[in-house]
Amino acid sequence: MAMTCKEVWREVSNYIDNTISPDMRHELELHLSYCRHCTAIIDGVRNIVVLVADGRLFSLPAGFSARLRARLDKELFS
Amino acid sequence: MGGVAIRVMLSESELIRRILSGERELYYDLIAPYERMVYISAMSLLHNETEAEDCAQDAFLKAFCHLPEFKGESKFGSWLVRIALNEAKMKLRKMRADLYDSLDKATEGEDDEYVPQTLGDWREIPSEALERKEVRELLQKAVDKLPERYRIVFMLREVQGLDVAITAQILGVSKAVVKTRLVRARLQMKDMLAPAVKNGRLFSRHLFKKGKNPWL
Repeated sequence: MAMTCKEVWREVSNYIDNTISPDMRHELELHLSYCRHCTAIIDGVRNIVVLVADGRLFSLPAGFSARLRARLDKELFS
Repeated sequence: MGGVAIRVMLSESELIRRILSGERELYYDLIAPYERMVYISAMSLLHNETEAEDCAQDAFLKAFCHLPEFKGESKFGSWLVRIALNEAKMKLRKMRADLYDSLDKATEGEDDEYVPQTLGDWREIPSEALERKEVRELLQKAVDKLPERYRIVFMLREVQGLDVAITAQILGVSKAVVKTRLVRARLQMKDMLAPAVKNGRLFSRHLFKKGKNPWL
């Protein structure tokens, strides 16, 4: 009753976020030991999760805080 | 003089109490930690820096006006994000009334299985690659292409780092729905970026001096 690829894909997030039961982790890792495609999928997703959490993506535009303050000053505090 | 130091020590609830009793300028201290969060929430729907900035400003204005209604049942940050998403939705409705895809209800297709592409080995994109504008743009464009309901969950969870429970609370959906949307978003992101990874577009020789490029 080895895990199928489909079952692995459903658990990708839980595996990466470490919200998976030890049994399920074991089954999944067993599958990864022989399935190159699922390994690539997990590696790819994990890589993206790390990159997207990096503050260099979606950073605030330059001058954002100053413009926000100017608008609040004008509309709320003047 | 010592004002700044004192303000830093104030808790959010104390800041809110004092703002409501008339020290309105403390509002800047209250919202400073959430500027990026609110901006990113607006960006997740609007895809446009100028529109998102405008929307973030509107959200902060609205939050100030509604501050007396904030009861502290949710976190202040989640409350702000919800206001920002609502502002962004209203803006979107004006921009594309007919195309609007409701955020509030799970649309059909939620139960369909997403089948990821299996393109062989994934070569890791090193985080140093984020120094390059084209890499950042490629990732941001991929996020933009996600279906709206997946994109918002992805932005809240991955970019802002909110947990499943808070994301579910903000969006008014169950934790299971958040998890399902997140896994789809993650797999689709990988699939969208896989061709660029495979053909080497994300790896520039200029990035790594002396040919040290362990990812190739």
